[in-house]
Amino acid sequence: MTEYNPFPAPSRDLCGAMHVHRRLLNESMTYRAQRARIENRALQYETGRRASVRSGVVTIPVVVHVVHNPSTPAQNIGDAQIHSQIDVLNRDFRAANPDVSRVPDAWKPLVADIEVEFALATVDPHGAPTEGIVRAETDRTGFDSHDAVKAAASGGADPWPSDQYLNLWVCQLGEGLLGYAQFPGGPPQTDGVVILHSAFGTTGTAAAPYNGGRTATHEIGHWLDLFHIWGDDDGACSNDDRVADTPNQADSNVGKPAFPHVSCNNGPNGDMFMNYMDYVDDDSMFMFTRGQRERVNACLEGTRASFLVAHQAAPATPAAPAPETRPAEAQTPGYVAQDADVERLLHDTERLTREALTDIHDALGLVGHRFGG
Amino acid sequence: MTGGSGTEGTPAPVTGTWVHAFEEDTPAAAVYRPEGRPLPPARRPRRRLEFRPDGTVTEHRPAPDDRLAERKGRWERRGPERIAVDFPGGHEAPLVMSVSRDDGDRLLVEN
Repeated sequence: MTEYNPFPAPSRDLCGAMHVHRRLLNESMTYRAQRARIENRALQYETGRRASVRSGVVTIPVVVHVVHNPSTPAQNIGDAQIHSQIDVLNRDFRAANPDVSRVPDAWKPLVADIEVEFALATVDPHGAPTEGIVRAETDRTGFDSHDAVKAAASGGADPWPSDQYLNLWVCQLGEGLLGYAQFPGGPPQTDGVVILHSAFGTTGTAAAPYNGGRTATHEIGHWLDLFHIWGDDDGACSNDDRVADTPNQADSNVGKPAFPHVSCNNGPNGDMFMNYMDYVDDDSMFMFTRGQRERVNACLEGTRASFLVAHQAAPATPAAPAPETRPAEAQTPGYVAQDADVERLLHDTERLTREALTDIHDALGLVGHRFGG
Repeated sequence: MTGGSGTEGTPAPVTGTWVHAFEEDTPAAAVYRPEGRPLPPARRPRRRLEFRPDGTVTEHRPAPDDRLAERKGRWERRGPERIAVDFPGGHEAPLVMSVSRDDGDRLLVEN
């Protein structure tokens, strides 16, 4: 498999050598190590070396943080709009969306019920009853994708414990963004999904063509470790989404494509642009695949296993026992021997060290840059 | 944004922020418009280029998690209407761009 770094080179600060140093240490090494571990697990599920052991539907407790500026009342979206979003999620992640019937015949057998549902939290982190909706006023006119919305100190709202709740922030996003996510393995204090209020739910301020609630479906797909269906390779056909049953495709599709759209020699059916992990309009995306479900299972039984533990005990109670980190391993038939894990870990360590050295080399090149043209 | 029509011999202004108007792309070039120009909302995040007078440039490009990730580089003029942008460590040839002088508000990134 082609080596694939799903994360672009992080930003570099010419003025702060220490900042660069700290970032490289913290983000490159720790985060990459986490991601390598998560990817190893996903690969084991994909190749059948490990099988999912969860049974039944898991319900994820959700807290929606509505961060709004009082000078723009529309940002303070109503409860009905929030409930309409939860309804969409519960259809899309169960393959119960009416438009799933529009999946082309060739791919109908691949349509998957992800067996995940979402419910606004009924118990807050302190054990008190809640409706799962937090409303926070802000002085800011909007937010970008640098996570200010995720902390009260920067004009947003603090998350609830991200191993017990899916945090959804709804706000005014700038730069034309509809939403963004954080993959599993990132910092817990910023774990969750951010959605533009006018791309959230199906009523209220939701505006066409993003008033089908699919922005949250897409972003929560990332939160559950799904990649973009084209592999984020800028049209190169060299990387894919690490899911076997989704065709490799060159680049993202937008709008309302006509079937088939062929790229990367993926004819005759072409791109699976109706997958939730493409960039088409809300009314043009309507499926997850079985392979994507395997990735979600690897995530839910790995880095996000706390939601399964809570599901088996009691939903989102602050007194829940400390989550098991890898509950599936001891129960799974065919569990890979520890020696193989050690071998992979050593391999990953070597690769991560190489990548970190490359980052340092690049950072030094930027500091002492001479124009290369 | 200081984009605007240049006159013969006057370099076309480039400093400021340009936003990818991918709806206007051609097979030969990606089209950028000055920040503030109305563009329809889009699920595909719009790439942005911030040119500063000191020769630095910051690119905000779509990342796998739909954020805009930054990378910093440098730009320099290659003629009245042409510039080149280089991102160290990108292992790519410098991007060659031209600033339209007919209407003065288009930045073309050549493929």
